[in-house]
Amino acid sequence: MKPRFLTGLLSLLMPAMVLAGEYDLTVDRVKIDTGDFVKEGIGYNGASPGPVMRFKEGETVRINVTNNLDEMTSIHWHGLILPFNQDGVPGISFPGIKPGETFTYEFPIQQAGTYWFHSHSGFQEPDGAYGAIVIEPEGREPFRYDREYVVQLTDKHPHSGDRIMRNLKMMPDYYNREQQTVGEFFSDVSENGLMNTVRDRMAWGDMRMMKADVEDVHGFTGLINGKGPDQNWTGLFEPGERIRLRFINSSAMTYFDIRIPGLDMTVVQADGNNVQPVSVDEFRIGVAETYDVIVRPKDEQAYTIFAESMGRSGYARATLAPEKGMEAAVPQLREPARLTMADMGGMPGMDHGSMAGMDHGGMDMGSSEDMSGMDHSSMEGMDHSNMDSMDHSNMEGMDHGSMTMGKEDKSDPFYAKGSGLMPKAANGGKFLSYADLKAQDPLYEDREPTREIELRLTGNMERYTWSINGVKYEDADPIRLKYGERVRFKFVNETMMTHPMHLHGMWSILDVGAGQWNPIKHTINVNPGTTVYMETEVDEPGQWAFHCHLSYHAAAGMFRKVIVEGGPDSTQAKTDAIAEDGGEV
Amino acid sequence: MSCIRSLVAVSLIASVGFSTAVTAQEMISDTTARKQPLTTWGVQFEEFEYRYSDDDEELGVWNADAFYGTDDFKVRLLTTGEYEIEEQAYETLENQLVGQIPISKFFDAKAGVRFDTPEGPDRTYAVLGVAGLAPQWFEVDANLYVSDEGETSAELDAEYELLLTNYWILAATLDATVAFSEDREIGVGKGLVSTEAGLRLRYDLVDRAFSPYVGVVHEQKYGDTADFAETGGGSTEDWFAVIGARIAF
Amino acid sequence: MNASKLFVAGMALSMSATAFAAGAHDGGHGHGATSGEPGKASEASRTITVEMYDNYYEPEEISVKPGETVRFVVENKGNLVHEFSVGTPDMHEAHQEEMMMMVEHGVIQGGKLNHDMMNMDMGNGHSMKHDDPNSVLLEPGQSKEVVWKFSDKGNIEFACNVPGHYQAGMYGEVNFE
Repeated sequence: MKPRFLTGLLSLLMPAMVLAGEYDLTVDRVKIDTGDFVKEGIGYNGASPGPVMRFKEGETVRINVTNNLDEMTSIHWHGLILPFNQDGVPGISFPGIKPGETFTYEFPIQQAGTYWFHSHSGFQEPDGAYGAIVIEPEGREPFRYDREYVVQLTDKHPHSGDRIMRNLKMMPDYYNREQQTVGEFFSDVSENGLMNTVRDRMAWGDMRMMKADVEDVHGFTGLINGKGPDQNWTGLFEPGERIRLRFINSSAMTYFDIRIPGLDMTVVQADGNNVQPVSVDEFRIGVAETYDVIVRPKDEQAYTIFAESMGRSGYARATLAPEKGMEAAVPQLREPARLTMADMGGMPGMDHGSMAGMDHGGMDMGSSEDMSGMDHSSMEGMDHSNMDSMDHSNMEGMDHGSMTMGKEDKSDPFYAKGSGLMPKAANGGKFLSYADLKAQDPLYEDREPTREIELRLTGNMERYTWSINGVKYEDADPIRLKYGERVRFKFVNETMMTHPMHLHGMWSILDVGAGQWNPIKHTINVNPGTTVYMETEVDEPGQWAFHCHLSYHAAAGMFRKVIVEGGPDSTQAKTDAIAEDGGEV
Repeated sequence: MSCIRSLVAVSLIASVGFSTAVTAQEMISDTTARKQPLTTWGVQFEEFEYRYSDDDEELGVWNADAFYGTDDFKVRLLTTGEYEIEEQAYETLENQLVGQIPISKFFDAKAGVRFDTPEGPDRTYAVLGVAGLAPQWFEVDANLYVSDEGETSAELDAEYELLLTNYWILAATLDATVAFSEDREIGVGKGLVSTEAGLRLRYDLVDRAFSPYVGVVHEQKYGDTADFAETGGGSTEDWFAVIGARIAF
Repeated sequence: MNASKLFVAGMALSMSATAFAAGAHDGGHGHGATSGEPGKASEASRTITVEMYDNYYEPEEISVKPGETVRFVVENKGNLVHEFSVGTPDMHEAHQEEMMMMVEHGVIQGGKLNHDMMNMDMGNGHSMKHDDPNSVLLEPGQSKEVVWKFSDKGNIEFACNVPGHYQAGMYGEVNFE
């Protein structure tokens, strides 16, 4: 008791000194060896990925970032709540860090959990400029584990980010090596008949859309903690221990489906925020998301952490083992994903017959409603294979999480019904859905949003242009929010790609239909042909970036500046008067 | 591209946000590369090949284009040449410089000039064209030409790629030229002038940057144009075996 | 309706089966596979208060003597429904499947219990009441008692088998002195 009192006294006297952690990072040119190729890239403190930054909730951190590159750089602390001028986005938070310069970030740590940091300049992040952040909570964790590992994924490509962007602009299918071939035509003919296959190809050809357009960039090597599949990063354990794995997807473009054959994974945290634990066999991690899971290997054997890309064009692999050098079988990649017409459901002006009027993302199923009114008898013996004919619009008021469907029906309400991207666990078991995520300890009171802002996610694959509401960042006015309001964002995905939308500086309360238990995240996946809602308590003044976290989509224009007008004190209120966007240059 | 980006990045250094005397937290304006239209470029040799005809004619042929610009405006240089190896003369040499703007989701309009400087008389044309992706994945490029002699003609290019696998690709091309008036001096008769059809089987050896191929090309002249060619001792129909590479960088 | 009743009845049966196993034997997985038996309050040598939070117990470890009867006062100080169940790890694992069904049937709904569902008579005297002597299920703010006799040494844990909670670490060790 005494030391704590003393610390409290000291912190009153010298707040900056006692609780301030000082950290140094250098931004360097590094070599990245994936096992498949060696590539010049960018890293921190001489390596990519950079170090794991370990902070403690309640401390104020000072981070000295020295730019050893011959170009501008920046570091964005992904998911951290901090003053906007510490957020590290050039042109929005600050001008950037010049070559040779040292910039000192200083901000209080007001949260705990797993996060990451990366450059927000050019394509430095895909080129290797990223690292992990682990924040220890002030109190105890609401779960137990004996050891922990950061499992940071990326999709390292032999081409530089600049070159990938240019190639995509020149030929949007430059990297896609899973396109439909003559062979697939004939196998489809034998499966579905000639006329059906021809009709199918004609329908897609008419739209000039590719079913194979799941991942824009193939040809990468999946890395875990900087190690390629052959280099096999290995985390050690003693049988019977609980291990916390902090998964971070630092990829430029790639979603991963992650499983550890032989182990259940209990998801306890998403995007740094604790969620009510849910045990799964497999989960999909969107670009920029984090998931913390607890696993408990009981046997004296190795387990493979297998991360297949969503489009199955590549994978990352690592191992959990009682001893270095032990390995388990590495599964084969599953068949490449193919989009379906359901994924095109968001495209305006398209007639999909039965799909009209469906609001997939609507999902407004109320909070944990009392189920007593439900007639369970009618659910027994329900033929789940016929679920396609179910009218989801009549499901208002139902709590999905507490229904049998959650387990037996493999259809995830966050995908368009019949979507080709619908995830399935390799072992036929439970695949995590956004609908399973419930806040462990809600950060905000649930309240009515003050207004709704619709953001249509738009683009044109053939031109490789990506935009919001049809307007690219270069032509866009900022989104203006008022301090103190609660805004409901409606994302309508009108493209055939999945977009991980990331709002800086303020939490994204994902509407999974759980009311006050809705989880808070920093990155929200919006799957093709769906509408997803999130709400934001506008509680941080300043200006912030808001964008698709796929590197080449953001660079192509799927990006916005958000200006929060007003602030907690009256001097801040004047900022809106001078907040101008430098759009006209 | 990287040099462009760093140029813009340098311009960022010059930019200092609004100085806001009142507030502690300064709101800056975004003058980074991200806020500028994305400028990009590319160079592509659709055809770069050696042709050997059924009457032992040997040709070196290229068909290439280079562009520089943004989504809203690109400058494009197109160049086509057929060099007769034995006679050391250009049978065809066309260079076009056009500006290109998007006009619909899948199509661009082009306008510019074309200089033909083969062996024989030269021509300069004004060019107006449309290029893009037609339904069912046909790449089309249609152009209208008005020469400095006042003659008008039109050309349609179409290409379709069949993916035998994701690396073995069979490309079919068809190129047809129609003249609305005769230009006797360069051997062009009124009506359908000529067609060139090609079938090339390529293999993407290095990404999509270097793809060697083999194929066949059929060239045919029609009507008055064919008559002019015959009179001049030339052929009206040729079959070629071709070997070459598609190159992009 | 019939199918439903059968199903739930089956579940209730399987739960009683577990309760039985809990009171007696559980199949002999390794040594010390017995968890003890229901105790009499009058025989309890002491009272141990176990507080439930989201999702952990305080304390997370207790010590008992072989043959000792303990009166547990369990208080749910969290915002979610939690269970306090005494058993071997294998028993907990088996019980978790039943608890999963309770969640799927809306008996356990995050922060509350659906008592109508729990008490629903299945037509054969069984229900989803969750009334085994080795465990209690508590809504936030509730407090209940379990009296348990730790007959023999064994690998025994007290655990919350609400889906995910045990896996996340909501369990405590019972050490034998």
